[in-house]
Formats: sequence, structure tokens, C-alpha cells
Amino acid sequence: MISFKNVNKWYGDLHVLNNINLEVDAGEVVVVCGPSGSGKSTLIRCINRLEPIQEGELVVDNMAVHDKKTNMTKVRAEIGFVFQSFNLYPHMTALQNTTIAPIKVRKMKKADAEELGRETLTRVGLKDRINSYPAQLSGGQQQRVAIARGLCMNPKIMLFDEPTSALDPEMIGEVLDTIKMLAKGGMTMVVVTHEMGFAREVANRVVFMDDGYIVEVAPPNDFFRNAQTERGKAFLSSILSH
Amino acid sequence: MLENFNFRVIWEYMPLYGQCFFATLWLSALSLIGAVLVGILACSMRLSQSRLLSWPAGIYIESIRSTPLLAQLYFFYFGLPSLGIMLPEWVTGVFALTLNSGAYYAEIIRSGIQAIHFGQIEAGISSGLSYFQRMRYIVLPQAFGMTVRPMLGQAIVLVKDSSLLSLISIMELTRAGQLLTSERFMPAEGFLTTAAFYLVIYYLLKAFSNWSEKRLIFKEAF
Ligand SMILES: Nc1ncnc2c1ncn2[C@@H]1O[C@H](COP(=O)(O)OP(=O)(O)O)[C@@H](O)[C@H]1O
Ligand SMILES: [Mg+2]
Repeated sequence: MISFKNVNKWYGDLHVLNNINLEVDAGEVVVVCGPSGSGKSTLIRCINRLEPIQEGELVVDNMAVHDKKTNMTKVRAEIGFVFQSFNLYPHMTALQNTTIAPIKVRKMKKADAEELGRETLTRVGLKDRINSYPAQLSGGQQQRVAIARGLCMNPKIMLFDEPTSALDPEMIGEVLDTIKMLAKGGMTMVVVTHEMGFAREVANRVVFMDDGYIVEVAPPNDFFRNAQTERGKAFLSSILSH
Repeated sequence: MLENFNFRVIWEYMPLYGQCFFATLWLSALSLIGAVLVGILACSMRLSQSRLLSWPAGIYIESIRSTPLLAQLYFFYFGLPSLGIMLPEWVTGVFALTLNSGAYYAEIIRSGIQAIHFGQIEAGISSGLSYFQRMRYIVLPQAFGMTVRPMLGQAIVLVKDSSLLSLISIMELTRAGQLLTSERFMPAEGFLTTAAFYLVIYYLLKAFSNWSEKRLIFKEAF
């Protein structure tokens, strides 16, 4: 479903992605972790070309994202992206946030899109906040609206960039539960997170990045119990110590 | 003082004032619509990655903002005919007001756009919205929402600036005052009446500004 082949990316002189090779199969859940600045965000932002890559091949749902000629609107319609800082549209209600792209990109009828939006918001536990504006919602609720916004496009892939890092601790659970529900429903997902419990429960594989390299790829229990590299061990002890 | 005030003459000139009041209204309204459109265009060009677009927009905005409106008005009024372009006075007037306020609107809209968190635009890109859809549904509604006050402030300036059109002999409120002054030698009556009509427009715009700000529920978000 997602395939990186020898992908390289630079910001100016900074080599942020170093010869990345990674295959994510349909229905697979991959968790990406690693120290701050290691290139995790860059890696998933390349998947929908929020960031362009300079070298290598990146194919998503059989569409060549590395190819400048590819129609990205089509690719992006198949990929939901959830940001650390929610990035909801503050002038729209929760419902309008979820219906704008289905109406404008998928060309759905307004009534159908609203029906879908209501259903999806109900699914993420926000039945009674459908007409609230983002400013009237807690962080956890805003992030669930953001997830619903992605789901309403009926995507094949969902990408999450540290979806719980901006949340107060008591709200992390509700957002992780929502993401787990999707994982169990068979959605293909790449999740950047340091939540080990979550990774253990739903991830098929953990990708550990450091300094622009993919250093280790392993099933979560293997990686968390028995990391193979020094850098992986050092990283795990650093996140366990707080 | 009031007993010296000739209300009878003011009453006699009321039809003229009424006509000129509406002239000021529609000249201003036309210029305002034009200015907002020019503002959106100039601002989009200004913020563009391409220098071919951003430089001309920058030069336009800076040169308008650094020179007096009266000089701009005369430039078009005397300059265009010398280039062989003959336009009715009111067209020249609306054109000058539009270009003048357009530069200010470009800057106001830019301040609104730049206050929008870039993450929202990335969210729009991620869900497949095109550049124009992002502008139309995400960026501009918020840019306008956040700048209701400065936008209406500039509209009030525009209405007051339209008084300069009297200098190219367009019939509008200030011109009515000039006529009363020159025909009856009553400058106090003439220009106070003119001022009273501007005050009416001012309060209408201000009421609209307050009303529209109250309607923007989402403004807490900023
Ligand atoms: N737009 C950018 N321009 C220049 N450098 C960037 C940009 N975005 C990220 N970087 C740099 O690239 C490296 C990787 O960043 P990022 O992918 O955000 O890491 P992570 O998500 O793992 O913290 C960091 O050194 C960061 O400073
Ligand atoms: Mg990051």
C-alpha cells in the first residue's frame, strides 16, 4: 500500500531522510518512533507530499508520489492525515470540518456528506458536539474531530503525526481508543507516537528512526523487550525514564 | 448662533442633498466592492512565491500608500486624457478610489491571512482541497472574520475620501456643500449639512461592524 524505495530527502544541506526503504501492506499498522528531530514527521509528510522527496521512489496505492506529474489531489483523497496540533478550521463547526472535503473534493451531495459527518462524529464519541466550534471543544475532542474529518473522505490510509503529544494526560486515552478502533477495523495506518502500550496493542511493526535513518524494524514486543541496536536501547531507556 | 442658522435654505437644498447623499453612497459602494476585489488580488499576488507576481503587487501597494490620494486622483483625471483615454468623471473617480483603497485592503487582508495558523492550510492540502478551494473556504473567510474592524475602518475612510471627488466636479455630498456656499454664501449651513450626512453613513457602517462582529461566534478561536 505504501512503498519507500531508496528514498532520500534534504532540507538544504541537512540530509533528513537517508536511504529509506519501507513497505506498509494493506491493513497493516506501523508505529514510527525515535528521538525528536530524527525525521519521523518528515517521513510521514512525504507520503502525501506535504514534503517532496528528492531521490528514490515512493508509491502509495499504486500511485507514484515521487513523480511530479502525479495528480496529488487523487492521492491525498485516499489518505487521512492527523496532526499533532489538530489543525481544525476554527470558523467551521465540527460537522462542517468533516464535510468540507467530501463536498468539495469527493463532490458528495451536501445532505449525504452531513449524514456521513454525523455518523462519523458519533463513531468517535462526539454525537452531542456535532454543532460545536473547535474553540468550544477540549483538546481530546478536537483531535477526535480531526480524526473524523480524515475518516469522512473514506480513505485507504490514515497517517498520524504524534496525535496525542499536544494533549493533557487525561485526554490521551480517549484519542488512543479511537485510533485503536480504526486499527481493529482493518485500516492501513502509520502512526508516529511514543505510546508504547498503544504500539504493543495494535502495531504490527515498530519502525525506529534516528538521525534520518531507519535503524530498526521489528514487531513491537521484540523491539520494546529486546532492541537489537545500541541506539534503540538508548532511546527506549530515555522514554522509560520519564 | 442657531438663530442665525438658515434652516429654510437647507430645506430648500434638501432635494440636492438627498440626490448627492445617494451619489456618495453608490460611488463609495462601487469603489468599496472594487477595492476589496483589487485587495484580494493584490494580496494573493503579494504572497505568491513567484516574483513576477509579488513584485508588481508590492510596487502597486507601496506607491499608493506613499502618495496622497488627491495626487493620484489628479493623475488619473488629467493624466489619462493626455494618454488619449477619455472616461466620464465618475468612472475616473471610482477608479482612483478603488485603486487607492485596494492597496490598503491588500495589506489588511494580508494581516488576516498571515494570522492564520499554517497547519490549517496543510490540513486543507492533505484532504485534497485545491489552492482556490483553500483560499475560498479556509483562508479568506477567516481573514475577513479577523479583520472586520480594520476592513470597516477602511470603508469609513473611503467614504470620507470620496469627498475629494468634488474637486473633479462630481456631484456628491461635499459638492452639494460647495454649491450652497457659492450660490447663497452660506458655508456654515452648507458644510454642516454635508457633515451631518457623512455622520449618518458613519453610524450605519459602525452599526454594521458591531453587528457582524457579534455574529462571528468563532472569533474566540483567535
Ligand atoms: N521545513 C523544514 N526546513 C528545514 N529543516 C527542517 C524542516 N522541517 C524539519 N526540519 C529538520 O529536519 C529534521 C527532522 O525533523 P522532523 O521530521 O520534524 O523530526 P521529528 O518529527 O522526528 O521530530 C530536524 O532536524 C528538523 O529541524
Ligand atoms: Mg515530529
